[in-house]
Amino acid sequence: MKKILIVDDEQDIVESLKFVLEAADYICYCAYNGEDGLKLAKEIMPDIIILDVMMPKINGYKISRLLKYDNKYKNIPILMITARSQEEDKLIGEETGADEYITKPFDLDDVVKIVNRYLGQ
Amino acid sequence: MGKILFISNRLEKIQQYSEIFNKKPYEFFTSSDENAIFEIVEINNPDIIIFDHSFDNIKQLIKKLKSVTTSTSFIFLTQNGNIENDITKYINAFLTEEMSDELVLSTVAVNLKTKHSLEQLSDTNKNLADSLYRLNVLYSTSSQFAGSLDKEKLINYMIEGLDKSLSFDLTCTLCTEDEPVLLLNSLYEISDELLSALKLRTVLNYKSLFEDKKPPFEIEADTLKVVKTVKYPANRFTFTLFQYDNMFAPISLGDNFFGCIEIFKETPFTSDDATCFQTIAQQVSLPLKSATLYQEIMETNLKLEKLERLKSEFISIVSHELRTPLTAIKNSLDILSGGRCGDINESGQKFLSMAQRNVQRLAGIINDLLDLSKIEAGKMDYHFANMNIHSVIDYVKSSLSVMAKEKGLNLIAEETPDLPDIYADSQRLEQVLTNLVSNAIKFTPEGKNIIIRSHTADASQLNTPDCFKEDIQKLQGKYIVVCVEDQGIGIAEKDLLRAFDKFAQIENSLSRKVGGSGLGLPIAKQLLQAHNGAIWCESELNKGSRFYFAIPINIVPAKMEKNLILN
Repeated sequence: MKKILIVDDEQDIVESLKFVLEAADYICYCAYNGEDGLKLAKEIMPDIIILDVMMPKINGYKISRLLKYDNKYKNIPILMITARSQEEDKLIGEETGADEYITKPFDLDDVVKIVNRYLGQ
Repeated sequence: MGKILFISNRLEKIQQYSEIFNKKPYEFFTSSDENAIFEIVEINNPDIIIFDHSFDNIKQLIKKLKSVTTSTSFIFLTQNGNIENDITKYINAFLTEEMSDELVLSTVAVNLKTKHSLEQLSDTNKNLADSLYRLNVLYSTSSQFAGSLDKEKLINYMIEGLDKSLSFDLTCTLCTEDEPVLLLNSLYEISDELLSALKLRTVLNYKSLFEDKKPPFEIEADTLKVVKTVKYPANRFTFTLFQYDNMFAPISLGDNFFGCIEIFKETPFTSDDATCFQTIAQQVSLPLKSATLYQEIMETNLKLEKLERLKSEFISIVSHELRTPLTAIKNSLDILSGGRCGDINESGQKFLSMAQRNVQRLAGIINDLLDLSKIEAGKMDYHFANMNIHSVIDYVKSSLSVMAKEKGLNLIAEETPDLPDIYADSQRLEQVLTNLVSNAIKFTPEGKNIIIRSHTADASQLNTPDCFKEDIQKLQGKYIVVCVEDQGIGIAEKDLLRAFDKFAQIENSLSRKVGGSGLGLPIAKQLLQAHNGAIWCESELNKGSRFYFAIPINIVPAKMEKNLILN
């Protein structure tokens, strides 16, 4: 089964994402701040990362940049989720190498569809 | 009264003329010594000099005397009426040897009278010229006052005006704005001791203005700030300055106190000087008031701009922060209503749908708030491209037909084929049209029609209610006009314009029932302005509304044109 890493400091959102993705037969790993998220990503080598932007310690942009500039992890798709929707934020997200970018409030089914597309399920 | 000098070396003539003039109202001098003549002229400044033709080198003497006298009349005593031509140009009148004493006396008297009249005329002329100059100064000072809203400049113009019209030696101007300051404009340098005395005098003058009342500002001579401007620093004033003539006047700021001015001059001031001084000191009052108001307006504007910016930032931050909890609620509702946690009974499903609908609504309001704050902060991004309005109408029709159908409404698009392309941001136009059509759906009762129409029109053909005339007047050339017509509750004519105001959802129980942020139309208006277009509506209560928007054909908006050229 494919592994998904969810990194978001909002536990309620993590919980709902975990619920629908597990129902879609994925194994979910969760982290509630940037530092733990980065550590866990390197540890478990997930098949996709769902990443929030505004987080304590290390923000989503930085995690994305660190992973995408590292040959070992650069092929892991990153789906960036944020409450910010301004165009310039989107550009920053793209520059830091995020593969997808969705804005809160998002549709859980859309997230599952994107994950399925990347992981071929 | 007249002073007469007779220049002759003939004793009999001197005697004859002495007899004629040695009586009142004349003061008579005679001389036959060339050197003494100049002394007499210098000391006595005679009104008339009579030259005897027999005097040696008479022509040279006349020329010399002409050069040292200004207003003296020259009379020449001729021999047998003979006159040399080059003498006539220096001479005012002639006498002859044969003239009787009476005739000599009357000739001199007439000349004296003429001379006095000329002097009077000259004085009057001089006074007139002075008055004219002063008027000019007053006029140019008033013009300067009218042209400035800077208090410092206004005070400088006042002092300049006083200098030009009164040529003062020193002015002490006390200004009480913010920090009290004494402006000294002096002809010569002022010693420290004299400066202390002037400061003390100014403070006493200031306090005297308020008699027994408390002055509006606490001003002490020791701590009073001084700004000194000296014209000729090589010279110094002494304490004799206090013996100079002086004038003093308060300076008001509209109805309030602003400061006071004292002016010193070595020669005495005339009553005209006093009038001029008072006029200039009073004239500055109104411009000072205007300058204060202007300053207040500028400060208020700055504060308002800051508040506006803070408001936009606040809305932006709050909107972002609201999205996170909203996402958690939406996700939970989606999980529950999707039956992922087990079956939900019918009434449970009904309440879940209600919650989902309101989450959707809340998300819409947050998006509207964000859009508006972005537009107001000038941060809205537009992606202009050549496009056709049909694509926008088709998209909105297909995305909202389900919503219309659910409400039992017919959503119809009556389009004119082959409409020309426009240069616009299709996403923003979809946003505008979606807003208009969803409003129409909200406000139209079941079984009625909503029609979307499109056509081309010249700006001059556009007909709108009076309240939108101002917006439409700005349009020029050809436009694509889109109209959304409904058969809903309509808007009263007096409320038409208000529909496009922020948060001004028209007071109506139905509008409260259907909800909304009330920001859709203001956003649409701003989006169309960014397209150099316009939006307006026609409506009648209970008979439905027609909302129109117009987009220019083949016109690249100015802002985009610049970017295109750069690219």
